[in-house]
Amino acid sequence: MRLHRIRRSMVAAVSVTGMAAALLAGCGSDGGSEGGVTKLTFAASTLGDPGRGPLLTKWLEEFNKSQNKVQVSPAAVPYPTFGQTILTQMGSGKGPDLIRFDMPEFESASDAGLIAPLNDLIDVSKYDLLKQPDQFMVHDGQRHGIIFEASNYAMFYNADLIKKAPTTYDEFVETAKSLTKGDTYGLAFRQTEAEEAGVWQDIFNYVYGFGGAWSDGKQLTINSPENLKGLQAYKDLYDAKVIPRGTDAATFRRMFAEGKVGMELNNGGYVTATRGQNADLNFNVAPIPFPVRKQGTILAPIVINEASPAKEEAATFIKWALEPANQVKLQEILGASSVATVTQRSPEKLKETPFLTVFDDLTESSLPQIVLGFEAKTPDIRKVVVKNVIAALQGTVDLKTALDNAQQEASQLVG
Amino acid sequence: MTALEQQQLPGPRSGTRRRGSPLGSKWTPYFFLAPAALFILVFQVVPLAQEVFLSFTRTSLLNPTHSTWVGFDNFARIFGDEDFRRTLLITLVYVVVCVVVAVGTGLAVALLLNKGFRGRGLARALVTIPWAAPGIAVALIAIWMLNPDYGIVNRFLDTIGLGVPGGAILDSPRYALPAILVTTIWQLFPFTSVVLLSALQAVPPHLTEAATMDGAGRWWTFRAVTWQSIKPTVGLLALLMTIWSLRRFELIWLMTKGGPVGATETLVIDLYSQAFDSKQLGSAAAVGMVGIVISLIVIAGSRFVARAAEREAR
Repeated sequence: MRLHRIRRSMVAAVSVTGMAAALLAGCGSDGGSEGGVTKLTFAASTLGDPGRGPLLTKWLEEFNKSQNKVQVSPAAVPYPTFGQTILTQMGSGKGPDLIRFDMPEFESASDAGLIAPLNDLIDVSKYDLLKQPDQFMVHDGQRHGIIFEASNYAMFYNADLIKKAPTTYDEFVETAKSLTKGDTYGLAFRQTEAEEAGVWQDIFNYVYGFGGAWSDGKQLTINSPENLKGLQAYKDLYDAKVIPRGTDAATFRRMFAEGKVGMELNNGGYVTATRGQNADLNFNVAPIPFPVRKQGTILAPIVINEASPAKEEAATFIKWALEPANQVKLQEILGASSVATVTQRSPEKLKETPFLTVFDDLTESSLPQIVLGFEAKTPDIRKVVVKNVIAALQGTVDLKTALDNAQQEASQLVG
Repeated sequence: MTALEQQQLPGPRSGTRRRGSPLGSKWTPYFFLAPAALFILVFQVVPLAQEVFLSFTRTSLLNPTHSTWVGFDNFARIFGDEDFRRTLLITLVYVVVCVVVAVGTGLAVALLLNKGFRGRGLARALVTIPWAAPGIAVALIAIWMLNPDYGIVNRFLDTIGLGVPGGAILDSPRYALPAILVTTIWQLFPFTSVVLLSALQAVPPHLTEAATMDGAGRWWTFRAVTWQSIKPTVGLLALLMTIWSLRRFELIWLMTKGGPVGATETLVIDLYSQAFDSKQLGSAAAVGMVGIVISLIVIAGSRFVARAAEREAR
């Protein structure tokens, strides 16, 4: 009898343990197959954009209608946590099958072997890919991604406040100063450590626009004279109080939409966002008027998760996306951005937004916001550089010393 | 109840228990403890053991299943880093100020609310509002109030001639930590005041009356009677506040992300940055271990003080 009681207690304990284990098992892996149909997940922060998200979802539905063996579901992950969320999932051998990455995370993931090589999955020779952005998709002869979106940086300006766009740096500074009165500012950019990734994007234009670079491909060049000149320009504008200091991007972009900010350097994705905030705003776009015509670009590759059990099916989706008709549709959804292949904008779209060609013309001179030669280490280098530049903005150290410190710290970091 | 009645009551092993039921067997306590023990094992012991292991390895967030044993390298590196030593100092300042000011303010408010005055019930309800507000909402409201262009704090400081140059309080290495401290304490003090108010209400009135009749002034009455009664509660609050302040994340992260220039970087912010920005789980685990050791020292210290107080009371 006693043995019987013990056995029953043991059964009960095992049952409790089993139930807990079942609860802890968590969610299953992606890329599942059901009734002969392979179900894939495509994660992108843009799927959550108020303007572009619903249109991208419809575009995915078009793919689903065209297929009877593969279906793709959208997964919108907010931009600020996108990289961390997806990389953490991928690091544990899970995550979505298809991912639209930004460059720093793309580089980290490909370096860690989390992205499936595409050489054997997609024959890219069939497509007329844009060479400048596409070169960053290949590492040591191995292709890891296809451009989903390339969004070049340009100067947005309020056409009611600025009749003629500045064409030189001096004119740019003068315009910013003359517009700054009361609660209106001539310019806006990110300048707080809380927006580290954004500050990096913004200072990138000043560094490259003054002939600088973060590296020569082999050595870091953070404290080069050109970088110092570019970042001095950034600091001078900060010191001149022509920007709403301490204000975050979401706020000063709303201010731009309300006519309270005259100019902003931003990428093509900003066109749709600005119109979403104020459809009546009279704004225009021109190339950034810095001494050297080089600026940043947001490159967003689409990749296949190495852990996906359905890589062939995921490649089917990318191949569908690369078809000319689907590339045109994608570009129209993305607005002022470019896509993977050479496309022609429709006359209707050009009439509606004449400055679209400004972005297109910048493609050859635009560079992704990564440190060339140290791509996978970009997030770490970014942290060091931004911290030191902010220290200079706050006056705790002069800019030259800040860049020297950043050079030393980042060099130690990359070994 | 008499001793006889007690003897006649059915004991745990007598009476009408159904034969064969596991209830009453020597396994019964284990059966009921199993879920809680399993929970603690799965969610506390295993992660803690994993953290200890990780802290001695070089492990990337992008490849967490592949670790390289590096011994004490992570600890040597973080303690050799000037930024980490500054982080420890900032954590110490943050915790000490939070505990002292939150408990001190809470005590002052509790003493005030313990007095009889019109609208006391309403005042007690109003005081609890900051504690009831979610941390994220508090952080966002604070950011809005501290905005250099339209924030009410800057306008007020400008009006009284104490404006911060440039107005960007949260971007100033000098003012960011005090701003976060004020916000934290604003949220914390209602909790301490409510707990201390209940402790004050438990102080036997006859003791204060006796002290007053013996000619003790207000200060001496407070010191000799009230303080002695509420001291254990204050000790418990100080312990709770210390541990909560050590692990506070969302408020600091939302307001400054540890910046500017590391001026508000506490241990948990550093841990998060190491794990998710730098993707170095080994270093992050080492930072976490430092936090655990500090917490253990605080707990041991508080127990030591409590025991000393008990001995003194005897």
